[in-house]
Amino acid sequence: MTVINKDQCIGCKICQKYCTVDAIHYNAEEKKCYVDQNECVECYVCVRQQVCPYGAIKVTNFKDDFYKQFQHVLSDPVENHGVTGVTGRGTEEVKTNDVTGRVIKGEIGIAVDMGRPGMGVYLRDAEKVAVACVNAGVELEPAENSPLAALMPDIKTGKLEPESLDYRLLSVIVEGTCREEELKTVLEALKKVSQEIDTVFSLGLIARVDEDGETKALNCLEDLDIPYPHRGKVNVGLGKPLSLK
Amino acid sequence: MTHSLHRSGPIESQKKDFNWFMYQTKGVNDTNIKPKALEFIAVAEALGSENWGDVKSGPKTKYPVEYIKDHVTDKSRLRGVFTKREQIVDFMKQIKAKELGLSVVITGVLSEVLPACKEADITPHSINYSLGVWGKTENLPDDTTLSITTMCGHHMIPPKFVEHEIEQVKKGKKTEEEAAIEMCNFCYCGIFNQVRAADIIKDVVKKDKEEK
Repeated sequence: MTVINKDQCIGCKICQKYCTVDAIHYNAEEKKCYVDQNECVECYVCVRQQVCPYGAIKVTNFKDDFYKQFQHVLSDPVENHGVTGVTGRGTEEVKTNDVTGRVIKGEIGIAVDMGRPGMGVYLRDAEKVAVACVNAGVELEPAENSPLAALMPDIKTGKLEPESLDYRLLSVIVEGTCREEELKTVLEALKKVSQEIDTVFSLGLIARVDEDGETKALNCLEDLDIPYPHRGKVNVGLGKPLSLK
Repeated sequence: MTHSLHRSGPIESQKKDFNWFMYQTKGVNDTNIKPKALEFIAVAEALGSENWGDVKSGPKTKYPVEYIKDHVTDKSRLRGVFTKREQIVDFMKQIKAKELGLSVVITGVLSEVLPACKEADITPHSINYSLGVWGKTENLPDDTTLSITTMCGHHMIPPKFVEHEIEQVKKGKKTEEEAAIEMCNFCYCGIFNQVRAADIIKDVVKKDKEEK
């Protein structure tokens, strides 16, 4: 848990501009800064960059609090996720798809990057999106591939452990797959739920492509008035053994 | 994580912004990574990769290249920046020829990356497409700030810090390049494009001067 030691803080407010989610506030009465524990995502930017000239920013032990650990590991890319073994948000999405074949022909990978860019996300909003995805036909990734699933007693529902819902993360990915023909329904569900959350998400769709790098799966975007994507993360198929599925 | 995918800003600016990645697959090809990683680094360096790094060590703008190389482990994932299409063509050609067997990802504007794949005789396998930002977008920072902060997909660069750095440049206290490097050092992975960031800051400062 990130805290500011009152005895060392001189109230200069330098630390405020280094907070990724504006969780450092100034108490005018005390003339000291403090970390709002409900808003802090434990990204450790203020700690790692050593931004306090007086060394007032400290990390306290939270080893007994599983959700605090989860919050920190997901918000700080330097940490490895304990289950997936991957740094950052702990997911593999398209990175190694040429080897793993996680998203195969006829399927679409859905990667809903909750809280991004930079707004942060309370897990209650991540749950709303996960439930909407499941109800629209998305099969969520299991815990060995997706950190968020570790908080789901049953990934077929998308519901999270109730105790986790008030924790805020810098971002977390709701990840799964659907059949190509279900994509339109999934996107409609995401459009609807995007109006019901108190944050943003960045949406990625993963598809196997032909030799020109094209896929017909995205043809439904026009019907939904969604602009055709101009950016992409291209797995160029050099991994071995190559998955041809 | 999809940390290089959702960059924002004018398309013409994004066309000078590519990321390269080396990925091992857990349980398949994730041992004895260092010699292969050093091959990736050698190719990237020879082609002038403007920034690169390993999330476990940091970016080369902050740490000596030899330090990052020395600290490569089987958990390392290397990634970096190119600013020209020709660089990614040559990068793919050379990495393909080495037959290292690790996954390679190139992120960027698709109208640049896909023709580059053709030029390099590469057949793309799969693509993660960015469908942009949904939800309460009205609460996001301004477009200029976002075009810089989204270059660190983990969002280690606080919006207020970007605003502060731009103000410092406007006041003549530092150059665009110095401000860009300071921001770059917050991004542990080495995918922040400090060349593009300096260009963005230059444009903001120029517009500000013209308006005065």
